Amino acid sequence: MHSKLNVIWIDAVTCYGCTHSFLNYKEISSLFDKVNFLYHPLFLSDDFEIKNCNLLIVEGALKNNYPRLGFSLNELISKLFFKADKILALGTCAVYGGMFGEGIMYNKELKGKYYKCKDKIINLPGCPPHPDWIAYVINMISENKAIALDEFNRPQDIFAYTSHMGCIRNEYFEWKIDSENFGTKEGCLFYYQGCQGPFTHSSCNKLLWNEVSSKPRAGTPCFGCTEPSFPKDELFKTDTFMGIPANIPLGVSKRAYLTLSGIAKSLNNERLSVQLIEYECGDKNENK
Amino acid sequence: MKINKKIINKIEGEATLKIKGEKKIEFVEIEFWQYREMENYLKGRHYMDALVINPRICGICGHSHLYATVRTIEKVFNAKISEKAEIFREVTTLLEIVENHIKWFYITIFPTQITDKEYIFKAVKFSSKISKAIALLAGQFPHNSYMVPGGVTCDPTYMEIMRLKDLIKEIKEEYIKEIMDENLYSKDLSKFFENLPKEIGKGLNKFLVLGESNIFKSNGDYKKITEEKNSSLSKNALYDNEFYEVGPLARMIVNENEKIKKIYNHYKDSIYTRMCARIYEPLILLEYIEKKLNELDLCEPSFIKPDVKEGKAKVSIEAPRGSLIHEISIKNEKIEFYNIIVPTQFNLASSRKKPSPAQAALMGENIEYTDSIFKCFDICAVCMSH
Amino acid sequence: MKLYYNNRKKGVRVSKEEKKELIMKTALNLFAKQGFYNTTIADIAKEMGMSVGNMYNYFPSKESLAKELLIYTSKKFGEEIRKINEMDIHSRDKIKKIVKLYFETAINEPELIDYFMRVYLSNKEIFANGCEGMLCVSAFVTEIMIFFEEGVRKKELKNQDFFAAFGLFMGYIGGLAFLNKEGILTKSLSEYIEPVSENIYNALKA
Repeated sequence: MHSKLNVIWIDAVTCYGCTHSFLNYKEISSLFDKVNFLYHPLFLSDDFEIKNCNLLIVEGALKNNYPRLGFSLNELISKLFFKADKILALGTCAVYGGMFGEGIMYNKELKGKYYKCKDKIINLPGCPPHPDWIAYVINMISENKAIALDEFNRPQDIFAYTSHMGCIRNEYFEWKIDSENFGTKEGCLFYYQGCQGPFTHSSCNKLLWNEVSSKPRAGTPCFGCTEPSFPKDELFKTDTFMGIPANIPLGVSKRAYLTLSGIAKSLNNERLSVQLIEYECGDKNENK
Repeated sequence: MKINKKIINKIEGEATLKIKGEKKIEFVEIEFWQYREMENYLKGRHYMDALVINPRICGICGHSHLYATVRTIEKVFNAKISEKAEIFREVTTLLEIVENHIKWFYITIFPTQITDKEYIFKAVKFSSKISKAIALLAGQFPHNSYMVPGGVTCDPTYMEIMRLKDLIKEIKEEYIKEIMDENLYSKDLSKFFENLPKEIGKGLNKFLVLGESNIFKSNGDYKKITEEKNSSLSKNALYDNEFYEVGPLARMIVNENEKIKKIYNHYKDSIYTRMCARIYEPLILLEYIEKKLNELDLCEPSFIKPDVKEGKAKVSIEAPRGSLIHEISIKNEKIEFYNIIVPTQFNLASSRKKPSPAQAALMGENIEYTDSIFKCFDICAVCMSH
Repeated sequence: MKLYYNNRKKGVRVSKEEKKELIMKTALNLFAKQGFYNTTIADIAKEMGMSVGNMYNYFPSKESLAKELLIYTSKKFGEEIRKINEMDIHSRDKIKKIVKLYFETAINEPELIDYFMRVYLSNKEIFANGCEGMLCVSAFVTEIMIFFEEGVRKKELKNQDFFAAFGLFMGYIGGLAFLNKEGILTKSLSEYIEPVSENIYNALKA
């Protein structure tokens, strides 16, 4: 039986999306059995105090001269950082800086303020991160289990996957049948809608969001929100050089990818070239 | 006279109150200091990027920002969308309002009177279900961008629609059983007011609804909105140079809701009426959502490609906390200018000349009631200081 | 670029692959001289000194020979362009090398260029089954794609629609090869390498 984990969850420069994602975790009460939230910026907790804790969760980016709880944010984080056993950088802002500032271990693709202390840091990028990911880290630390991390200190259990894995449009990707406009269940979003799924590390299409869906399932391209470049310019547009995608699926050489795509494009998949489902229209599909 | 500085947090951020007075609040200034420069961040970017950036103004009401953004861009393009797309957008936006009100009640304001973490779990039970309902159409919640100029990106089948209908029915029934019923009876609300007077926290008794919506009629014209600087990094919003209250209470009063009017006649715009309105509103919204889902025709196109144009436009929609205004100027497909006015700028303005609704509600009341009265306005601090 | 042996070596054992190459080279020459439709498997067999039956061991039909020829020439061209792509030089110099490769082939092995333009481009029905789209020419087209992509990535070439650039490049050099075959050019094709490369670079540069 492990003793309760003392957690301080602090808000840096954030929109609180990470917290609200966490508040979609249905089994949240079982987490509260394992964790003492010494402080949380939104839900009930003790009054804020700078003190020691087992896990410091930082939601949001670092920024100079930003007031937080009567302190200057960066100084506050610094004080809390060295009083914590482990630090969880929660969300793309805390990991890389995102839209609002600098991250803890990284500043976009460069090393950040706390890179030297990376042995203490676990990175959970995502805008927002999936509630299951947050619960996973808290549970692993609470049970004193080692979390296998990748070279960016991200849990491998989550980030070994790409958004592309499990995408319901994958057959369209394979046969290079691109969706030229929005709003269809058919078609791959990679070429004309800027989908970054094939080169974005995440498990969105494995776990599904809110137990039911994901952006590409709802026809929205993956915006690569777990990567340092988020948000890039022109998120709905695929970067191309002379019509050839600038970013290709991870682990494949350009030559191999272009050859495969070229062949796929030359061949025809009849089933995928037409609408998947046809409704009888008019009268809202009422039975006659 | 001594001025006490008090930081109130857990309001999607924090606010600093400068209170003059020992036992009673004689005067109060409301300041927001966390400024993120969102409008500057948008300048020069492609107009479609606003659909990804603006929801990230706020993690709890970001979907309303998405709705306002897409409507503003469509106004510039004079774009048309199908009824199906309009119904989807209404459903998800109203569901977000329901989720906001539940979280406000149990996570933000309830702890000012009763501290028990069971209520957090109650909020999560509802919010996870409502987020799921939103995700059936929008892909995920929070932070989706499924609304695009011309319609929506999703193309659901009857599988998703039937599931959604079942979920909405369950949410409504559980809401009536566990939060508030059609007769405005709420066990939790009564518990909240066990030791709190109901007639405190009266505001300005002036109400404004600006949003263009099919469910709430508006009583104002955006051209009369102005912004002014206050003593902090946020801005006050005024209508016709006066302060007005926006939000669920305003929507109920302007739309002459009988049940809320009865309470209003007794308690005027006190904390009790304001809270009743906010807790009752979800029932109206859920019923409307059920009605709309029955009007759905899946054969209509999800997306109709618009003609991209240049120009300016301004739009207002009803967000959880009140009227939200977005204004854009597009040139060469880039954002030349963007301005956002959030409902908290109306309710929690701060002025030394005349009181805002929140200032009026706090002044003259006992200091021990500060937290509850302040939070009955449902503040979104990150939106306020965008 | 020498693709095949120029002469059959009498009395020397050749491998199956080498034999196949010889057959293809012979076929190319005959197609160029007599035309594709006028050439039969029997003609090629006679030229090779083989029996028709033995020919069918290598190529079951004229159609399959036609398609394999396409894949093979594409692959050879592709390999040479890949070598150019992998050089650490400016796009302008790569263009010159590609043009030189093409023009020298037109000079030294005109039957190859002839096959591409006269047989492939003009008789699509032969290739409709099994060589759809860029299936049989992918080795070549992929290298051109890589050349363009890297050129734009390195900001040496202007970003534009792929086919606009591809058409300009390939149409131009194909056109010059055609004029050369017709005997219309006033100078030898190799003297056009320089000005043609410059023109292409000027048109495509960033």
